[in-house]
Amino acid sequence: MSPSKTTGDVKSADLELAGRIRSGDGTAFESLYQQHAPRLYNLAYRMAGTATDADDLLQDIFLLAYRKVGSFRGESSLGTWLYRLAMNHCLDVLRSRQSRQEQQTDSLDEDGAPAPAAAPALGAVSRIDLERAIGQLPRACRAAFLLHDVEGFGHQEVGTILGISEGTSKSQVHKARLRIRAYLTQPRSTGH
Amino acid sequence: MSCADYTDAIADFVDGTLDPARQRALERHVEGCAACRALVADLKSIQAAAFTLDRVELPGQLWKAVQARVATEPPASARGRLLAWPRTRTAMATWAAAAALVLATGIGIYSVRQPVDRHEDTSAVGAPTDPGEVVASVQAELQAAEEHYDKAIQGLEQIARTESGALDPQVAAVLQKNLQVIDQAIGESRAALQQQPASTDAQDSLFDAMRSKVALLQQTVELINEMRKGNQAEAGRLIKGLNQ
Repeated sequence: MSPSKTTGDVKSADLELAGRIRSGDGTAFESLYQQHAPRLYNLAYRMAGTATDADDLLQDIFLLAYRKVGSFRGESSLGTWLYRLAMNHCLDVLRSRQSRQEQQTDSLDEDGAPAPAAAPALGAVSRIDLERAIGQLPRACRAAFLLHDVEGFGHQEVGTILGISEGTSKSQVHKARLRIRAYLTQPRSTGH
Repeated sequence: MSCADYTDAIADFVDGTLDPARQRALERHVEGCAACRALVADLKSIQAAAFTLDRVELPGQLWKAVQARVATEPPASARGRLLAWPRTRTAMATWAAAAALVLATGIGIYSVRQPVDRHEDTSAVGAPTDPGEVVASVQAELQAAEEHYDKAIQGLEQIARTESGALDPQVAAVLQKNLQVIDQAIGESRAALQQQPASTDAQDSLFDAMRSKVALLQQTVELINEMRKGNQAEAGRLIKGLNQ
């Protein structure tokens, strides 16, 4: 289910909630946390790859939200605003890391899509393998794929959250699926 | 048409957004193309698996950690006022001092001190010129800052109280003793300020003591978090810091 809220009533409820947070109402802030933290934690976990990093990211995200809630003007839903802030933060943190895994991932981040396999090779996809494949995706692809295919946002909303067009969201998600397919069909060592 | 011409159609088909005419064309192509048929099947499998991935459970203690970090922040409504404040050289100097405190302690503060240099220009737009008005304005800001600290302290104390079972009794006793010393300093500074409301020494002393209390409570919450995670090395480092 998407966090988009379109009715005027819901929008005014978002503005009212943001106003209460601005004025230091702890219960309003807790309400925002309870509503969005579970999904944001899943996103942060799969963006970062470890529970420790996800813990840190989620804390940072809500601290940032508290600091920046004054900039919420109701142009989108409070949920979309929060997801945008969260994904920007996740991408910033990942971008600034110079880990070996990140460099390897970046080296795969070319424009060309992987060549399609000649015959269906996957059948039922193992969740463990899929988690590993997601972890290998380039950051931008991973963000779009997680939002669309895992969390169920529409392309328009993925575009709003990531600051890209709807068409770019489609293209990133498709590219991510192709890369996952290539990862899952490549011969791998089983000695671990 | 070649397989490459069907790339967008395949993406839309997997998303379920392909219009009927293009879908019929794609189906005709896929019937005669094993590679594209395999591709569509695999992408559908990936999409289905992604949607049913297990949810990662949100750790319950994370809310406490978020609360502890937010407790030391000024309310967002005060933040705008803080950023808009400096108008005069005196205010700028005061602002710089306050900013240095924020950097040094990691704690948001929107207090300002009474102007120290009476020769500095205070005639800029927005600055009070009447001495009585200046005193009233500064006292109001001090009161607001004090309320902010009190609020931060209350929030952190609540967390420390409810989670104190995670601490070793000896460590808890040391913390309690340190807090008592700081509380005494806060009480004495408040008494001095009541006697001499314009004393910058008394103001400094009160805010120093309050900052110390916030810092100690922050360390306590951090220690509780590390103990709960079972991170003995980090907990040991924090306990060493508390004893210094």
